[in-house]
Amino acid sequence: MKNCCYVLFALMAVVCNAQNKQVLYGLKETPQSVLLNPGIEVPQKVHFGIPFLSQIHVNAGSSGVTVFDIFGASDLDINQRIRSKIFELSDKDFFTATQQLELFNIGWRSKGDIYFSGGIYQELDFISYFPRDLAILAWEGNRDYLDYPFDLGQLSVTADLTTVYHFGVNKQLANRLTVGVRGKVYSNMLNISSTNNTGTFTTSLDTDGVNIYDHTVTDANVTVQTSGVASLEEKNGAGEVAGSVLGRAFFGGNLGVGIDIGATYHVSDRITATASVLDIGAVFHTKDVETYNAEGSYTLNGIELIFPPLNQGEATIPYFGNLEDEIEEEIPIDTLTSGYTRWRPLKVNASAEYGFGNIFGGGECDCRNPGASQTWQQAVGVQYYAIARPKGPQMAGTIYYRRTFTEGLSAKATYTVDSFSASNVGLGVVANVGKLNMFLAADNLLTYGNIAKAKSVSLQLGFNIIIDE
Amino acid sequence: MGVIIAHIPKCMLKNPQIPLFILIGAFLCLSCVKDTNFDDADNIVLTPVVELDLIYFNLNASDFFDTISNTPRLQIIDTTEIKFLDDAFVQEDLERAEFLFNFTNSIPRSFQVGFQFLNEQNDTTYTTQTNVLAGTALDTETTIFTEAVANEEIMDLTRANKVVVAVTIPSADAALEGMLNLKSKTTYFLEIED
Repeated sequence: MKNCCYVLFALMAVVCNAQNKQVLYGLKETPQSVLLNPGIEVPQKVHFGIPFLSQIHVNAGSSGVTVFDIFGASDLDINQRIRSKIFELSDKDFFTATQQLELFNIGWRSKGDIYFSGGIYQELDFISYFPRDLAILAWEGNRDYLDYPFDLGQLSVTADLTTVYHFGVNKQLANRLTVGVRGKVYSNMLNISSTNNTGTFTTSLDTDGVNIYDHTVTDANVTVQTSGVASLEEKNGAGEVAGSVLGRAFFGGNLGVGIDIGATYHVSDRITATASVLDIGAVFHTKDVETYNAEGSYTLNGIELIFPPLNQGEATIPYFGNLEDEIEEEIPIDTLTSGYTRWRPLKVNASAEYGFGNIFGGGECDCRNPGASQTWQQAVGVQYYAIARPKGPQMAGTIYYRRTFTEGLSAKATYTVDSFSASNVGLGVVANVGKLNMFLAADNLLTYGNIAKAKSVSLQLGFNIIIDE
Repeated sequence: MGVIIAHIPKCMLKNPQIPLFILIGAFLCLSCVKDTNFDDADNIVLTPVVELDLIYFNLNASDFFDTISNTPRLQIIDTTEIKFLDDAFVQEDLERAEFLFNFTNSIPRSFQVGFQFLNEQNDTTYTTQTNVLAGTALDTETTIFTEAVANEEIMDLTRANKVVVAVTIPSADAALEGMLNLKSKTTYFLEIED
């Protein structure tokens, strides 16, 4: 249990509404924005991502506790701080970590004025809800919780390590409307998930006179699905494990398919609306699958001794073994190797933007042709983000200000309210030096003075070569 | 100031976005963690108190008389494994254990009940015993016996993986009536550090 605490606190330390890239969304000066909205207006003619550097994204957070809450300098005993946090958190609180590394990315505009783009990126996505009741049981025990049903259903965790191959098309269908779609093939290297569990564990005073307590597991149904994990047990050392996992990156893992769709629509010459839906798809886990399921109900009253008359040397009744058999019969733990399907975490982005100032490049607004790829020097807007998670969607709202300073320098400042914070300020900058395009985006900047006080942090950076029209 | 500008590479003067980008990058890199004490992790101790039923029995007075040989059985014995007691986890983290034995007796005899804890090799590692007061058919006697095990004795207890329960009656005959019941639990006081 203590090790679990360390893991959770480590996650809090290293890594926000995971996967929300509110600063990058709509920032069309960087090629990676087409991954967040396949229907964004793409300004460039060609782009090449610098391999392994075109996008690096790390993102982690916990919705209810910070590193400082636990490890902050304090006169209060650390165990009291942890205890008070355990009781403060709810089973809806969660810990997340997301990491993405783009291996390869390229895009070009065809003669038919369609922008094609494709590439490969690797993604780690982890979320664990806080199993509050199990944490109380581990921290306090059951003595002071008679008749309290500890909810086994609070256990909800998923972890995915995936390589994503993608190819998308983007086209301006009309002066006001640009649409895009991206097909994806997922090669899942590792998956561990335990969701939709049910059941309770209760200790109560025995009412039927058998023993002092009834320790009762009621309607337990706990499932852990794994793929790509079982075969790793045969590997020797971290090197072999890493080699085996990485070997699945190139279509060697469990495969899946999905699509992203998106659009940009100019409501008027100053107002632009965008929307995208990402990762509509699933991974079909068929290889190296092991699913563990425990299901049933049982009441434990201890061991009943019946003092059988035994002859010399005769073995006594194997009470404990019989008890184990009885429990296994009532709550059997099955190991299944049949395949399963996991939906990808569906993401939805939407925005509305009002442009003002000059039209960038010094041109005047062509009011007969509103929205035709023109960029207002300044804009303010609102964004919405949602991601499907095991216990329901997690949402975030953002207001932002975007400004293009020069042809080579743009920036976007965001203020986001999400599950982690109501005061998340982010900033992104895109700079072009010659054909080299660089972007850097981060959020929760108000906590940079002491990042231990941040419930989440997020950073994206990347380097690309851009060839303009 | 002029000296400083003279030392700025021309490409940076031509592309002011470069120094700005570096400046923002440096700001992000300069984020810090302060006023924290991660060494405090060494002081994390989980101290759950777990209560678990142990053993129970319901003995009839007739269990103390062999009707075939027509002789009393003055001592009856039974044994059960308690496999988790000598687990490495319990050995390392159990600080204290408290046993509670609750006897109800309607047999007009007192009893001596012994609990002998044995290890894998059947060597005795810990023993305790108690006397159970005699009852009557009309007045069931309750005897509560508690045993707290701590300090060095906990090492002895957690080397065991089975318990032998011996119930001794001073005398018995075929006419003896009543019931001797036991309910018991153990309270485990754990301190989990590493």
